[in-house]
Amino acid sequence: MVGFIILAVLSFAAAVGVVAARTPVHSALYLIGNVVTLAVFYLLLNAEFMAAAQVIVYAGAIMVLFLFVVTLLTAGKEERERSEGLPGQRALSGFLAITAGVLLAGVAVRYSAGPSVRPFASGYGSLPAMGRLLWGPGFDYLAVVALMLLTAALAVLVLNRAVDDGRRPAKVKEDPS
Amino acid sequence: MIRAVPAGDVVALAAALFAVGAVGVLVRKNPLIMFMSAEMMWNAAALAFIGYAAEWHQMQGQLMAFLIIATAAAEVGIGLALIVWVYHKKLRLDVDDVSEMKG
Repeated sequence: MVGFIILAVLSFAAAVGVVAARTPVHSALYLIGNVVTLAVFYLLLNAEFMAAAQVIVYAGAIMVLFLFVVTLLTAGKEERERSEGLPGQRALSGFLAITAGVLLAGVAVRYSAGPSVRPFASGYGSLPAMGRLLWGPGFDYLAVVALMLLTAALAVLVLNRAVDDGRRPAKVKEDPS
Repeated sequence: MIRAVPAGDVVALAAALFAVGAVGVLVRKNPLIMFMSAEMMWNAAALAFIGYAAEWHQMQGQLMAFLIIATAAAEVGIGLALIVWVYHKKLRLDVDDVSEMKG
């Protein structure tokens, strides 16, 4: 339980860091911290495969992609965010989001069943069990994931083709994936 | 192995992370930071699924978390491509610059 609290505090602090960081690269580093603490949570919750997948996909692929784009777009620039817009929008949206979070957390704690004393089935959450699930009853999900990733790759190719729109000289645009 | 952490606390943490991510999406104007906050919201949803999967001893929840992680990966590819594309048009990173639907 002590470990849970420490991890929860670390994870929450990293999350606040993502939102409060001034530059996107700091946000990206905080997000890596958040992702890694969540992976440890998955281990605590007997989800070994998901912990590995979380680290590989998020810290390994997604964050590298983010860092590439951050260095591509913001290298050597320091821009303050403009603050015009709807008056009070920031305060109101922050208040509403935090209210929603507190309500959700309250409901989660209120209807919690407490620590389970039932032992897990052997192999729960392990790679063989996940594999059997994904290639057996959950094969639809695997097929949908494959289709979705293929569609995303095609969409990125279409979005990043070099177009001569007459206003700017066509140039080869960097593919972020 | 016997679990020591009640699922309700895990889901409460997930709700807190979700709220922080929502604040980031609503308050920040840099599309990259907004996007990272949205990633955090996906992560919070995955954590809730895995917490309840441990509560009910059902691996279907982990299957859903797998789906969420894959969706997040696909979404990051498309989203970052869009951000790069808009940046090449506008040369600024600010969502308020993208206020019209003209091509």
